[in-house]
Amino acid sequence: MNTAHTRPLDHAMHPADGSAPVIEITKLRKSFGKQEVLKNVSLKLMNGENLVVLGKSGSGKSVLIKCIVGLLHSDEGTINVFEQNVNSLDRKELGELRQKIGFLFQSGALYDSMTVKQNLEFPLRRIKKDLSEKEIEEKINVVLENVGLADALNKMPSQLSGGMRKRISLARTIVVDPMIMLYDEPTTGLDPITSDEISMLINEVQKKYKTSSVIITHDIKCVRNTADRIIMLADGEVYLEGTLKDFENSTDPFIKSFFH
Amino acid sequence: MKQFHPVTKVKGFATKQSVRLSEKTMAKTAIANNFLTDLADVLLFITQFVRETFSRNSEVKEFFRQCFQIGYKSLPLVSITGTIMGLVLTIQSRPVLIKFGAVTMLPGMVAVSLIREMGPVITALICAGKIGSGMGAELGSMKVTEQIDAMEVSSTNPMKFLVVTRVWAAIIMVPILILYADAFGILGSWAGANIKGDVSFVLFFSQAFGSVRFMDLLPAVTKSFFFGAVIGFVGCYKGYNAGRGTESVGIAANSAVVLASLLVIIVDMIAVQITDMLI
Amino acid sequence: MNKAQRNRPVLVGLFVLIGLIFLIGGILMVGNLHETFKKKITVVSLFDDVSGLQTGNNVWFSGVKIGVVSNLHFYGKSQVEVSMKVETKAQQYIRKDAKVKISTDGLIGNKILIIYGGTSRHQEIQEGDTLEVEKTFSSDDMINTLQENNKNLLAITTDFKAISKKLAAGEGTVGKLLNDNSVYDNINAATASLQNASVKAQQLAGSLALFSSGLNKKGTLANALITDTVVFNSVKASVLQLQKIADTAALFVTNLKDAGCNPNSAIGVLLHDKEAGAHLKETIKNLESSSKKLDEDLEAAQHNFLLRGFFKKKAQAAKDSLPEK
Repeated sequence: MNTAHTRPLDHAMHPADGSAPVIEITKLRKSFGKQEVLKNVSLKLMNGENLVVLGKSGSGKSVLIKCIVGLLHSDEGTINVFEQNVNSLDRKELGELRQKIGFLFQSGALYDSMTVKQNLEFPLRRIKKDLSEKEIEEKINVVLENVGLADALNKMPSQLSGGMRKRISLARTIVVDPMIMLYDEPTTGLDPITSDEISMLINEVQKKYKTSSVIITHDIKCVRNTADRIIMLADGEVYLEGTLKDFENSTDPFIKSFFH
Repeated sequence: MKQFHPVTKVKGFATKQSVRLSEKTMAKTAIANNFLTDLADVLLFITQFVRETFSRNSEVKEFFRQCFQIGYKSLPLVSITGTIMGLVLTIQSRPVLIKFGAVTMLPGMVAVSLIREMGPVITALICAGKIGSGMGAELGSMKVTEQIDAMEVSSTNPMKFLVVTRVWAAIIMVPILILYADAFGILGSWAGANIKGDVSFVLFFSQAFGSVRFMDLLPAVTKSFFFGAVIGFVGCYKGYNAGRGTESVGIAANSAVVLASLLVIIVDMIAVQITDMLI
Repeated sequence: MNKAQRNRPVLVGLFVLIGLIFLIGGILMVGNLHETFKKKITVVSLFDDVSGLQTGNNVWFSGVKIGVVSNLHFYGKSQVEVSMKVETKAQQYIRKDAKVKISTDGLIGNKILIIYGGTSRHQEIQEGDTLEVEKTFSSDDMINTLQENNKNLLAITTDFKAISKKLAAGEGTVGKLLNDNSVYDNINAATASLQNASVKAQQLAGSLALFSSGLNKKGTLANALITDTVVFNSVKASVLQLQKIADTAALFVTNLKDAGCNPNSAIGVLLHDKEAGAHLKETIKNLESSSKKLDEDLEAAQHNFLLRGFFKKKAQAAKDSLPEK
């Protein structure tokens, strides 16, 4: 029953446009002290798809996407983003690469000391330096409307609810027009209705901004709402890779315990 | 087998030799290990600080914000402390000086002790409490809630944006706060001298500054910059390197205060020794 | 940006500015740094002993701070040359004959250097001048007092000489004076002290005469210590006066004795002339206190370090000569 789970499904899964994968990870290994979190992970993210990385808490999902943006350094293996090896980039090159990547943090990571507006301005002013004040304002208004929170402009993060924070955080990520979106447990800690809204938002963002996304979650509802393709991580390795249908039809008890 | 290679200790690899060590020695090794890696971390932190200080695109706006937070916002606390410090010092030493018939030396004595020692050290300790814990808690919670990571991925160097601005603000603001404390301390001393005696403001000030020499002021001002640096570094280091989970925010704030206060006292001792050697 | 945030740089600027004002004001006030911009002249003094004076101690003139001690270094065998910087604004008040002494600011305060004295006959001090140090305070002071005392005594004894002559002339009767015990006792006490004083005065006079002759001998210790001709002259004058006192006192005592032998004639004057009686009483009182003071001075003279050795040496000779008188 475990025979098929590491078999690559490239040809079956990938869009047939023949373009190179946006992210390509091969044989990634990462350990903290003696604890080996990622042993051998390989994956590809194709242009325009929503890839869901599924796994138990502590299976190294967050570590995986933090390695992608270079927040963590992998011990072995290569991570190529837009055909650039993240580990070999210097600070400046990494900064340029990160401008193309949006990262939605698990906790939202809104800057407590700044208003919503300042939170949104912060990456905008640093990444898109040639924008005028008017353009900045316009962009912020548009993006806030997209997440449905146009009236929260001058609020402090502490005045917002959990769902609103996630949305503002998402707005802050997409305001700089990223090409890749990395979602770290976007629906965790939210009520079912709000998490559905967030899932819908993720799909909207994908359509509107034409991003490729990696979504890390253990929330099956979110998986069902967003996934084009799913990778299951267990014990630091890829346990199974496939479509939603593959997973739902799986007879593997471990996977079944997730989906039922 | 008690012999093992020092490099083993530093790098923390469990070699065949260290496996055979007794548990007690292992614990000791771990402590030495932690201490050395901590020390290396601190050095790395300072090197990074220095490098980012001199790199391009400085965060001027954030620096001013921090100056406001650290300097201006601490002013009420520091001025109250300074005034009370001068008042108490005066009231306490007055009877003794009366005994010696040297009550005219009171302003000078209080001014010298305020400017040389009491002002800088007590203000630095107050700042360690206020600024150090503030930095520890703020950066600690930013670390825990991934705000620091968020900054990093939005092409902002958090070391530069958060640490460099705060440390420099502390280095510049703490000495100024100390000057305020000195000034308010002498004012408080004048008030204290007038509770039981009657000294005019002008006489008190000319007596006070008559005994203070330039060489009393110079070492005091010089060391206050180091106090500021110590408070800024410790607060930022502890916050920036906070662990995970909300409790580590409290730990970071607490250890920032404790370590900063301790280091202020140690720096003061070194400063006094150096001053003593030079003069 | 809201209002508070816009004001932030202003507040920070204000905060820093006031802090810097404290610093600069402090520096200017504390270091007496403004004094470095004042023009100053340097004058020096030679001390045998500076009793802990340090560089930076204040220099006072008429109780006003006019400068600081700028340098201390050894000079000659064991003397200390003290350089002081004196503000030029005080220059015109300090004359070349002004003197310098070391004192203390308050009971336990810092040492201070005091410039005092000076007369307008001399010119004002100039850069590099040397101000004199008063070397022998105690002996000089003592001799000055002694001289003053001698003058008083001389006046009194002259008065007495006149009175006692009248007494000896034997005008008037015994009458009241004999009944007036206090007057009699006074005279007795006065006579006794005067005798004592005259003995001592003679002793001192003799000693000083010898001492001053010793001073003339070059190479002696006394000669080395007192090279100042002023002091020497005072000593000489004192000696002369003392000798005079001794003579007058001796005469007076003799007169008094005569008067005692012939009470009728002696006390007649007192009865006859009330004014003379009152005058006599007053004079006797003056004489008494004056002679006591002289006695004290002489005691002090004996303990003075300069004269002590001399007195010891001459003690035996003095004893021998006394009974003969």
